[in-house]
Amino acid sequence: MTRKTGWTAALLTLTMIATAACDKTAAETNGEAAGAGGDASETGTATSAASASSSGDKITIKLYSYNLATVGQKEGTQQLIDEFEAAHPNIHVEGIPVASTDINAKVQADIAAGSPPDVAQLVFDGLDYAVNNFGAKPLEDIVPADELAKNFEGFSPNGLKLGQLNGKTYGLPFTFSTPVLFYNAKLFKDAGLNPDQGPATWAELKQDGLQIKEKTKAAGFHITGAVGADWIVQSLIGSNGGQVLSDDRKTLRFGEPEAVGAIQMWQDLVQSGAHDKLNDTEAFEAFTQGKTAMVLTSSAVQNMLLGAAKAGGWELKASAMPSFDGKPTAPVNSGSALFILSGDKAKQQAAWEFLKFATSERGYTIITSKIGYLPLRPAIVDDPQYLKDWVEANPLVKPNLEQLSRLQPWVSYPGPSWYQIETTLLEAVQKSIASAGDITPIMQDAQNRAQALMP
Amino acid sequence: MGQHARFRRLSATAVGKHAVLIALSFLAVFPFYWMIVTSFKPETDIFGSSLLPAHWTFQNYVQAWTAIPMSRMMANSLLTAAAQTVMQLLTSILAAYAFTRWQFRGSNLIFTLIALTWLVPFQVIMIPNYVVISGWGLRDTLMGLIIPNIASAFAVMQLYAAFKSFPKALIEAAHLDGASDWAVLWKMIFPNLRASIASIAVLLFITGWNDYFWPLLVTTKLEHSTLQIGLQMFMSSDSNLWGPLMAATTVASLPILVIYLLLQRQIIESFVKGGLR
Repeated sequence: MTRKTGWTAALLTLTMIATAACDKTAAETNGEAAGAGGDASETGTATSAASASSSGDKITIKLYSYNLATVGQKEGTQQLIDEFEAAHPNIHVEGIPVASTDINAKVQADIAAGSPPDVAQLVFDGLDYAVNNFGAKPLEDIVPADELAKNFEGFSPNGLKLGQLNGKTYGLPFTFSTPVLFYNAKLFKDAGLNPDQGPATWAELKQDGLQIKEKTKAAGFHITGAVGADWIVQSLIGSNGGQVLSDDRKTLRFGEPEAVGAIQMWQDLVQSGAHDKLNDTEAFEAFTQGKTAMVLTSSAVQNMLLGAAKAGGWELKASAMPSFDGKPTAPVNSGSALFILSGDKAKQQAAWEFLKFATSERGYTIITSKIGYLPLRPAIVDDPQYLKDWVEANPLVKPNLEQLSRLQPWVSYPGPSWYQIETTLLEAVQKSIASAGDITPIMQDAQNRAQALMP
Repeated sequence: MGQHARFRRLSATAVGKHAVLIALSFLAVFPFYWMIVTSFKPETDIFGSSLLPAHWTFQNYVQAWTAIPMSRMMANSLLTAAAQTVMQLLTSILAAYAFTRWQFRGSNLIFTLIALTWLVPFQVIMIPNYVVISGWGLRDTLMGLIIPNIASAFAVMQLYAAFKSFPKALIEAAHLDGASDWAVLWKMIFPNLRASIASIAVLLFITGWNDYFWPLLVTTKLEHSTLQIGLQMFMSSDSNLWGPLMAATTVASLPILVIYLLLQRQIIESFVKGGLR
């Protein structure tokens, strides 16, 4: 009997191992197929769409959105979907909430399982990966050229570039911000500074920060974004005339003098004491408590800051990102675009209708006023039918709007190790701003290590 | 006098030990306390450092309850974690018994293989698992959440260690008396090792309860998902809604607390016996 049980257990284990091996093979095969242009997933979705359209006229598109996965932004995003559905009764948008940090993993798993979402809201730093590995479809292949051109009338030309790669438009900018300098007008007044105007250059900011520190005992300043994602770091590097990646997308350049100079400025702010030594979360807390005077961050936190200012009895003001002396700033966008991943023609058309609505005058009105991001149709800001009243009631959005004219796309790194490249840069920045000496070796070393991760 | 000095020395050591223990328990309890207190603070006081809210409010709980389908998610979490725990215990008790009772050819190899799977990170197997679960049409279902987790290498290894400590002579005596393996397992070993099994059960339940990534992959609707996914709704890349998040987290930690209180005696007993590392 002992022997028999032993054999059964052995057989069971072998079966388990074999099944696991088969699963892996299946996943790899699917993954490869999806990577090679989404052929496998196309067949899958085409079949399901065909059965859907034959059973009725209504087309359902599956949308992964991280704004739906955030309590504060869920309602506005749902309103966008509801209004779209009311205007397009033949299309149903099934909104699926997925946190922004997990959305790529979920899309990847769904592609392996042969059922990718039809539309996904993906963060811009994953643009290259979405195009080359998720099989995102360029709008130029889905929409006739004249219709596309007509739709983009009135669209910010800079804004349109955000979701483009190799000359094709893969993502339509959905919810994004630019780096905004929020400041505490009360602390400015207490320190003898002009509360109606934030510092225009980094040199001025350093001086203001030191003056505030000396006269009010509050901390001067904090730049968020040395951890997480590199859009603010890219803004700084770009504003000093540098680049993180060459135009041909082959060579990393964040170890070059202009880029190093930008981070040196940040290091100098920290070393001089004008910049605090807190992490981003602590700095936010300090700012909301009126213990830090200035913070450079995303406009998405504006409502939270307004609430804190009201409760703490101080006034929140905003100004554009400061510049390096004599150079125009190059604000980089944060946030996400909507990508069409479906391989089915009918669903692609339905998805295009949704993208069109989300980036229409009405769509951007909801995105700006209800979700807290930026409109990429500049004219609606002065149009009483759309955002005019709202902008007048919320003047803090103005510096952010002004920066749109100089907007630069958030550069996504190529290849499967894109995220590791981004992390390598950020870690070098963290190390640099915390160090006292020359940071050139740190940044160059990071560039060399990251270059080895490039495809 | 010599005795007196020793007494004084002893008490000084005791005081020292207690001071360390008090400091450690403070470190363990304070975050928990802070979570609960923060959940009762109005939004404007969230970042304040006062130990008690200046104005108590239930608003965070109301907001947490209305923002996500809390009761539904809680029920899903409870069902999933409980089913996983029961199934994992069942499979690992049977496995542990087999490994202790019989030395068959390849038993060491099988045990090593099981132990090795414990070292495989979830990220490696999540996509294959997901493809299988999708193929079975179990996406967005509780079964899809539970089935990949009905066996636990950790539990097999822990229970094997516990079962090995059970006197073999007793088992053999029972067999001589004509008891079947089934009877030996459930009537002899199980009642005697209840403490170890209970403490492993608590750990398994906590693991199941805290699981985030698998529910994230398998479910698409909040109503079909677990509470851990709900908690994420109060966090975003830019800012967190601390008040409702702390309220929801407080609610989410209650079941674990209740289970710990219920099984406290067994858990402490098991720690005292040194059965768990």
